[in-house]
Amino acid sequence: MKFSVFQLSRIGGRAMNEDRMGYCYTRESGLFVLADGMGGHPEGEVAAQIALDTISAFYQKQAEPLVVDPAQFLADAVLAAHRRIVRYASQKGMLDTPRTTLVAAVVQGASATWLHCGDSRLYLVRDGQLLLRTRDHSFLEQDRPGLSEIEPVNRNVLFTCLGSPTRPTFDIAGPIALKQGDKLMLCSDGLWGSLDDAEIVRELSTKSVSSAVPTLVDRALLVGGKHSDNVTVLAMDWESPDVFAPTRSIAADSAMDGAFAPTLQADFFNSQADDLDEAMIERSIAEINAAIRRSAAKKSSAT
Amino acid sequence: MSKVKPSSLPPDTVIGGYRVVRKLSAGGFGVVYLGVDSEGQQFAIKEYLPSSLASRAAGELLPQVLPEKLSLYRLGLKSFFEEGRSLAQISHGSVVSVLNFFRENETVYMVMNYLEGGTLQDFIMTARDLKKSKVFRESTIRSLFDEILRGLRIVHQHKMLHLDIKPANIFITDDNRAVMIDFGAAREVLSKEGNFIRPMYTPGFAAPEMYRRDSSMGPWTDIYAIGACIYACMQGYPPNDAPQRLEKDRLSLALSRLRGIYSDSLIEVVEWCMSLDALARPQSVFALQKELSRESARRYTKLSVSERVRLQFDNVVSDTKKTVRKVSISGSRLK
Repeated sequence: MKFSVFQLSRIGGRAMNEDRMGYCYTRESGLFVLADGMGGHPEGEVAAQIALDTISAFYQKQAEPLVVDPAQFLADAVLAAHRRIVRYASQKGMLDTPRTTLVAAVVQGASATWLHCGDSRLYLVRDGQLLLRTRDHSFLEQDRPGLSEIEPVNRNVLFTCLGSPTRPTFDIAGPIALKQGDKLMLCSDGLWGSLDDAEIVRELSTKSVSSAVPTLVDRALLVGGKHSDNVTVLAMDWESPDVFAPTRSIAADSAMDGAFAPTLQADFFNSQADDLDEAMIERSIAEINAAIRRSAAKKSSAT
Repeated sequence: MSKVKPSSLPPDTVIGGYRVVRKLSAGGFGVVYLGVDSEGQQFAIKEYLPSSLASRAAGELLPQVLPEKLSLYRLGLKSFFEEGRSLAQISHGSVVSVLNFFRENETVYMVMNYLEGGTLQDFIMTARDLKKSKVFRESTIRSLFDEILRGLRIVHQHKMLHLDIKPANIFITDDNRAVMIDFGAAREVLSKEGNFIRPMYTPGFAAPEMYRRDSSMGPWTDIYAIGACIYACMQGYPPNDAPQRLEKDRLSLALSRLRGIYSDSLIEVVEWCMSLDALARPQSVFALQKELSRESARRYTKLSVSERVRLQFDNVVSDTKKTVRKVSISGSRLK
């Protein structure tokens, strides 16, 4: 499994960022999650954080290294997250519950399975085209027959989310086989509310995720203006379906099986493994020995 | 991933002026040897030789790195350097010291103090097999962690986090010093913003934020692990891991069993350090030291009979609940 990931979240013109995102992975499987805490209810950011925590904790427990049934896993995880949010609210004796949207994808065995609830979206771009995207659980996108005819409704209103007193409705799709060069993107409504799909697809298909994501986020903020919503994007570039040999940006390697394993890790942005040439190695060793001498000198002068 | 491990250097091989006496340990990241210098002084020498990326035939000196693994090998080398760099800056009795760093056999070696003794994990396991009500005496725990915290404070002062504190990484020397070892995970993360750390943790000792890839790690993350180590010294076993605790937290329940055996204040310290919410923990080693060293009259509250009954009842109930929930999950249908 080989992929690059880039994630970015900006507060926009709001008082706080209620979006949460994250990803984790094992040698053979990856999980990507994005939650957008809802305004109009208390502590949206808490709901989003709980959702993220619960789902990633579930994943850490079940991915060893594959999740047995990604669809079932996502369904169980989202309901557990929902229950924890409700429990949190009742423990704190809150009058209204915190709420959040959610989109989560599991990628393993060269295919993707995802779940969404609310209006945070997943886009899959292939060969310059939008292969698919999720339909929001809003009246606008689902066109529930009859509802809007009886009385005018705000078509942007969501009819489901995590944390509300009613059990969340969600959709699971996949597994869909990934092809090399596919881009998978999760985003909050702060992005798609400001940019149209064509622009998003163009950007994703012409650039690497590490430059497409910041560009998209910046543009959405610009369009959103002074009162822009939080904009959060997490995108993944599927590079090839062979054995898990990570790209320069990620080291999700096989070092998990050894006792020293925890040490081999990579800074996501800073890891330019190739810059470590011969001269660099020599310099590193010289630096370390100089530091050792300095510490020793300090010690002997102190005694 | 079951591959043949690269073979270690045979005794009497000379590297960087040290003679290899024997292999001390081996892990995914390399091999640690006992070596002696020309004056007969003993050292622990750690060789960078990641078993998943490099191979070495028996009797050979040079490791072979698979071409497609070369960039990962270099990346690992970089963190090996970082461990060396971290340790080189710190000179404290409670932190293993690195004495030399050299290149040979197309790989690198880190020379450290050779410590004689055993890990805290060995001690806990020995003590727990005695089947006494106390694994360690409270005064032992307090003085042990006082020493460790002094070292950890220095580590944090250098803007580093250990991130893998656990009984197996705390060494008790034969002359009764506590020394933190294996700083492979220590990184300069305190100063960086938006730093992404790949998941790496020891279940039971890793704080919840270690399971996430965000930048919410800080001194409080190591402090969680310290709390878990104290817990292990009291119970003889590691605590439940963070995902389990997020699902159903039985820490207070487990700790309440220790009431009357350990003082209320020590139990409270563990609970404080191991708060699932990072902000609810001691935010610095100093804050924790202050609390741990405040040794006014210890108060012990024994469990009343009714509390004991309730505890047992709780066990029964929560076990049943678990079974019921399992059944209902497997019975639910996907839409």
